[in-house]
Amino acid sequence: MTGRIAAFRADLASARGIPWVAPAIGLLAALSIYPLVFSVKVSLTAQAGGFSFEHYIRLLTDKFFLISVWQTALYSFFALSIEFLLGLSLALLVDSLARGRAIFRAGLLVPMLLPPVVAAVAWRLIYNPQFGVLNGMLRMAGFDTSHLTWTSGEGAAMFSVILVDIWEWTPFLFLLLSAGLQAIPQEPIEAARIDGASRWQILWDVILPLLKPTIALALLLRAMDLMRIFDQIFILTQGGPGFATETVSLYIYRTAFRFYNFGYAAAMSFVGLALTTVFARGLLRFMRVQ
Amino acid sequence: MRRAFAYLGASLAFVYAVAPVYWLLTISLKREVDQFAWPPKWFVFAPTFQHYLDAFASGSFSRFFANSVVVATVSTLTALALGVPAAYGLARFVWPKEWAQGLSFWVLSTRMLPPIVTIVPLFLMLRELRLLNSLAALVVVYTAFNLPFVIWMMRGFFAEVPKELEEAAMLDGESRMGALWRIVLPIVRPGLAATAVFCLIVGWNEFLFALILSQTESAMTLPVGIASRVTQYEIKWGAMSAAGVVAMLPVLVFASAVQKHLVRGLSLGAVKG
Repeated sequence: MTGRIAAFRADLASARGIPWVAPAIGLLAALSIYPLVFSVKVSLTAQAGGFSFEHYIRLLTDKFFLISVWQTALYSFFALSIEFLLGLSLALLVDSLARGRAIFRAGLLVPMLLPPVVAAVAWRLIYNPQFGVLNGMLRMAGFDTSHLTWTSGEGAAMFSVILVDIWEWTPFLFLLLSAGLQAIPQEPIEAARIDGASRWQILWDVILPLLKPTIALALLLRAMDLMRIFDQIFILTQGGPGFATETVSLYIYRTAFRFYNFGYAAAMSFVGLALTTVFARGLLRFMRVQ
Repeated sequence: MRRAFAYLGASLAFVYAVAPVYWLLTISLKREVDQFAWPPKWFVFAPTFQHYLDAFASGSFSRFFANSVVVATVSTLTALALGVPAAYGLARFVWPKEWAQGLSFWVLSTRMLPPIVTIVPLFLMLRELRLLNSLAALVVVYTAFNLPFVIWMMRGFFAEVPKELEEAAMLDGESRMGALWRIVLPIVRPGLAATAVFCLIVGWNEFLFALILSQTESAMTLPVGIASRVTQYEIKWGAMSAAGVVAMLPVLVFASAVQKHLVRGLSLGAVKG
């Protein structure tokens, strides 16, 4: 019997772990490293065939690509800041409740858990200018809604899709920050209260610094999802009207699967990836966490 | 007073979060005359299941539903079959320090890759292999999608089981595999179940890969099926909403089952990449 344990220990200490992980690592490599290498090659192949940097050169002067980068940044910035402020306020609010926390928490999480497609469909029902319940309620309140076109108006479309994002993903920040709040030690907060600190001072000088690692993680995860945003916008506006809500992911999708220019799409996807990575590093440095 | 405001604020947020979903549900249950009745019939209307019949009995949504079930379950099972041993291997064996860390972070980084970066080469590769518009392609892609998640979740759960427990079981006459199967796995079972549920949700909700890799009616999943109807016949709101309700119900049930693990799961990229 003890021989078996000795063998077990020797086994663990040797390189015999490799067969346990090999199949998983193999599949992952086949479906991530290989496609990436292949994609680099595609992005460096000219439309007419042969090695070329033409796709990378083109995207520097492609007005639509630059607009889509700008719009993605705009979308991400507004959605992220509002979702963060709302999520933090809600987390503090629900945390302060004496009763019913579980119910509030469960309800607040619903938007995030739905299939994004379903969330977008629900909002189409709300936004529809003629039949939607939003304009209906505004009419009932006495407003003239003939010019309120929401997702189908060039000017309002961006605002409207950001509003849906806030509805759908504030719960994500709420949940992570809520969990962070529950995990921070209570003693410093008590001590500050006894020393006569105001609520704001406690929040600003005690709670937020303790919450910083959670905040950094939550912002980072949400930012990375925002920069690849696709599903909701695809259902709500398809990037339109015109180009008003086109983001990088949608433009790459259109380039590859509507215009079948795979090389250019691949080149743009790498530039997008580089921008995302630079931004993530910058955010981490800004938050001074590792 | 302050307390009353807190409850008021929380209630408003609650209503705002749930209202669009509630509205979708009522539209799916209303007769067409009631759908756009004004003022809106918030609570009282004669319910009908006609839209559900339209969508699922005579429409193609039952097909999409079945496809989604197959893709989500099979990809979850394969991700577990590959990922659980890998997680055990990473947690149990003594790896050179840089190895275990490097490997784990590489695994996680594949999950953080934006899908739009891998979709172009994957599309071209699968087209070459003549695997486009097949459920098999989606199963393979979702397996790879969920693997990093399974490995990271389960590695944590395995690490919490002391290796002495396995040794004690072997002292009692269990074989190596017997100890793993009859002692360790039952201990991590709650974590395993939560991991599986997260994988199911990902496979059920995923949109971009499904949109591109399976474009024929016979291989469409529920989200893509719904999306194709949204843009085609905006007017059939009842059937659309009915399909939407059916698509969201399993997720809500699943999610309530894994509430405890939601934070960890989401931090590792579950629910949505």
